[in-house]
Amino acid sequence: MSALLDRPWIWAWLAAFAAFAATAAISQSQGIAGLLVAALTFSAFTVLVGLGQMFVITLGPGNIDLSIPATMTLAATLSLKFMGGAGALALPGLAVALAVGLGAGLVNYALILLLRIPPIIATLAASFVYQSLAIWSNRGLRIKPPDLLSDLMLGRTLGLPNVAYIALAACLLAWVALERARYGREVTAIGQNLRAARFAGIAVERVRCATYLLSAALAGVTGFLLACFAGGAALNMGQEYLLSSIAVVVIGGSSIGGGRSNVPGVPAGAMFLFLIVSMLNSYGLGAGVRLLLTGVIIVGIVALGTRSRTAR
Amino acid sequence: MKTATCLALTIALVTGAAASADTSDKRIALSNNYAGNSWRQAMLESWEATAGQAVSDGVVAAADAFTTAENQATEQAAQIQNMILQGYDAIVLNAASPTALNGAVMEACDAGIVVVSFDGIVEEPCAWRIAVDFEQMGSDQIDYLAGRLPDGGDLLEIRGLAGVFVDDAISRGIHDGVAANPQFSVAGSVNGDWAQDVAQRAVAGILPSLPEIVGVATQGGDGYGAAQAFEAAGRDMPIIVLGNRQDELQWWAEQRDANGYETMSVSIAPGVSTLAFWVAQQVLDGAEVPKDLTVPFLRIDQADLDQALETTPEGGVANTEYDLEAAQQVISDASS
Repeated sequence: MSALLDRPWIWAWLAAFAAFAATAAISQSQGIAGLLVAALTFSAFTVLVGLGQMFVITLGPGNIDLSIPATMTLAATLSLKFMGGAGALALPGLAVALAVGLGAGLVNYALILLLRIPPIIATLAASFVYQSLAIWSNRGLRIKPPDLLSDLMLGRTLGLPNVAYIALAACLLAWVALERARYGREVTAIGQNLRAARFAGIAVERVRCATYLLSAALAGVTGFLLACFAGGAALNMGQEYLLSSIAVVVIGGSSIGGGRSNVPGVPAGAMFLFLIVSMLNSYGLGAGVRLLLTGVIIVGIVALGTRSRTAR
Repeated sequence: MKTATCLALTIALVTGAAASADTSDKRIALSNNYAGNSWRQAMLESWEATAGQAVSDGVVAAADAFTTAENQATEQAAQIQNMILQGYDAIVLNAASPTALNGAVMEACDAGIVVVSFDGIVEEPCAWRIAVDFEQMGSDQIDYLAGRLPDGGDLLEIRGLAGVFVDDAISRGIHDGVAANPQFSVAGSVNGDWAQDVAQRAVAGILPSLPEIVGVATQGGDGYGAAQAFEAAGRDMPIIVLGNRQDELQWWAEQRDANGYETMSVSIAPGVSTLAFWVAQQVLDGAEVPKDLTVPFLRIDQADLDQALETTPEGGVANTEYDLEAAQQVISDASS
């Protein structure tokens, strides 16, 4: 038990369960299953972008990707415009979204490396460019996704939403990459001590480049999936995910200073973010109280997570 | 005595000239605080179409549109100061804040520039205001639901972005409407941020704890997301008041054809920017324009649905644009 309590991500899971129980307590019995399905569905998108952000944050102080919302919007806009509602173009459409994401990641990294701009500024500045491109390409008109894709995104398999399986698969891959693969070791080493990592012979810039590409690619694919789920791309569709992609990393018990991350905390943080809003809405609290309580609870979880880490 | 007559004559000449002034050498600027959704994009396109035509017809010399990147009042104040320096004759303004731009607007007025605010209006008295009665937009929804549902029941309210005055005003109207119709009660309230996916997420989260919902009051841009959430939860579809987005109208038409679904849709036409353009032009022309004008909402009822769908671009927002005569009509209605 105490070994479990030492895990930095355990508090996020406990908080998510508590929020779920509190909401379920005032729900009708058939509503509880609905709440679970909704939580799994909507947190899936946050998980996907959160994993990308987690790898970037792991790289160490100053590393952050603020271009995630704009990359999502641009990838979704361009890929849905490309498909034009034709189901036969579903896979090429996904490829377009992925390519847009990779392109954005490359631009981000080029700004960071070549112009020596701090990542926080580089990705923020680049995001204005991506957002403007999205506006310019379609002027905010909403193009419907192919029925095939929207059915797939809205559908369920064995009672659970399909998007949750996608998020689960991404978590498993991310866990392997972080804990078992050389790439994850290198990312963690860079985050813990950049100089030591260089002396150890790690190709630091190559790993950083790969990480910014990974984050942007995940953002692009998530934008594509979200647009198919929500019935079209919108210019403000990514807005929610700027803070939530960072919040799930921190709530999940990863260090914001980098060098110490964990995958299990990301889905817990995403579920918690959805459930806390549902809980406070269900209890009829206004937006002011809701934001206040959300902030206080997040600080609480992070404080507990940090304590269990230092105690170890 | 001689100087006095001379002065009076000069004043008479100047004012006389102003009343029939030609605006063909006047330059108008649009200062817009945000462009990141389909409504704002339609608003900018309406401006381009109408004001661009007016420029090529020689009615005015220029009608340039500028949008700030970050939706911040400080940024927009700086933008207005630039416009003053650039020597525009009129500034048409969709403001980030009703109060925070007052200083910059006063500077513009002091420099002899006509300032016309619309949609996001400013309180500074020297500016013209083309306002929307947002509270009525809220209470009208409840009046409609009261007509449809004489027995009343539980309602769900979808609000906009917390902290924006438009959200407070519409919500106040909705709650006033509910107070006047005690057969209704608001069972739940969520923030949909005027975005389909945010509304869908928020409604999906609160639905499990709600009793049967008979109606949903909205603020625009959130009705389709709410419908998706109700459908996903397998609940009976309530009467969702829609907000004139094409995908909402499309969904409404599909539901109507499938099961006779009835509702109404209300929002502000993005073409209100063209009304603001003509008001600025009229003021420059020397016309008497009252400082406070009210723009009617664009409301679509069951009977208007097919026509509205036909005229709304796919993925866009239902719109009405103003020409000079329509704008003069709004002005003369307000003067009388």
